[in-house]
Amino acid sequence: MTLPILLACLAGVLVGISRQVNGRLSLSTSPLIASFWNHVVGFGALTILGLSIGGLIPAGAADAPWHAYLGGSIGVVFVAAGSWLVARIGAVNTALLVIGGQMVSGVALDLLQGVSAGLLASVLGVALILAGMALTQRRR
Amino acid sequence: MTSPSGHRLNPLHLLAAFGTGGLLTLMVHFNGELGRYGNALFSSWAAHGTGTVAALVLLAVLFPWRARNAGVKPRAPLWAYLGGISGAVTVMLTSFAVNSPLALSGTLALGLMGQVVFSIVADRWGLFGLPARRPDRRDLAAMALIVAGSALIILFGRGNA
Repeated sequence: MTLPILLACLAGVLVGISRQVNGRLSLSTSPLIASFWNHVVGFGALTILGLSIGGLIPAGAADAPWHAYLGGSIGVVFVAAGSWLVARIGAVNTALLVIGGQMVSGVALDLLQGVSAGLLASVLGVALILAGMALTQRRR
Repeated sequence: MTSPSGHRLNPLHLLAAFGTGGLLTLMVHFNGELGRYGNALFSSWAAHGTGTVAALVLLAVLFPWRARNAGVKPRAPLWAYLGGISGAVTVMLTSFAVNSPLALSGTLALGLMGQVVFSIVADRWGLFGLPARRPDRRDLAAMALIVAGSALIILFGRGNA
């Protein structure tokens, strides 16, 4: 159980490292160019991994609806935006506000799909996140 | 070079970051669907491949605008091109953790913790060539509220469903 816990924490750290490194690259190039390199290098690394362990292109892949393939294009804008932001508002602000946006939009997506499990906790959580965002806007 | 973040956050930056989180929800949704037809590795591989093509198309479309704005910038160190490796490893770690007893909610909660701790350290010492920043009390209070709200949603709200 200790190993999964460590690896799950490490995954979060790697998300931060990736954004920090791409942010540094965007300073010398542009956020979109940083996002391009992020995707090319990631694609290369995953190709090598897939070819060495096998199962890179599974049988069911052809049955997936076309919209399931939209994630990559959205990811390009996501990485570019993160690179642009981290160089301007810092790692903490970027991480927290992106997480906040992910949480609130996730709850909204659930409601749109008619999922209402854990609704009370979700609504309370959204309220806390919005309060935190409002706090960043208060003048001192 | 530590700059206190004394003034309030630019509302444009705040909205951009919040909207970026919305993009992440959509991305996870689509990549998750692709993963169910194939597997996590294929989903990430395909997303990086289609993303590379999408980035090239966007760069081509935006080229005239970029050419006008191009200025002299300091060269990037070689390691700055390797952010994608970190992203690729994240996919593997996450798919491993989700299938462990941690499940999705535990993986998300611990990932959130890892991100928050790293971002504090990164800002404090300006890691990887970005400016160092020192949080003030208001920043810390905002952080506590957003972390608490996210933890509630992950552990007792949607993540737990």
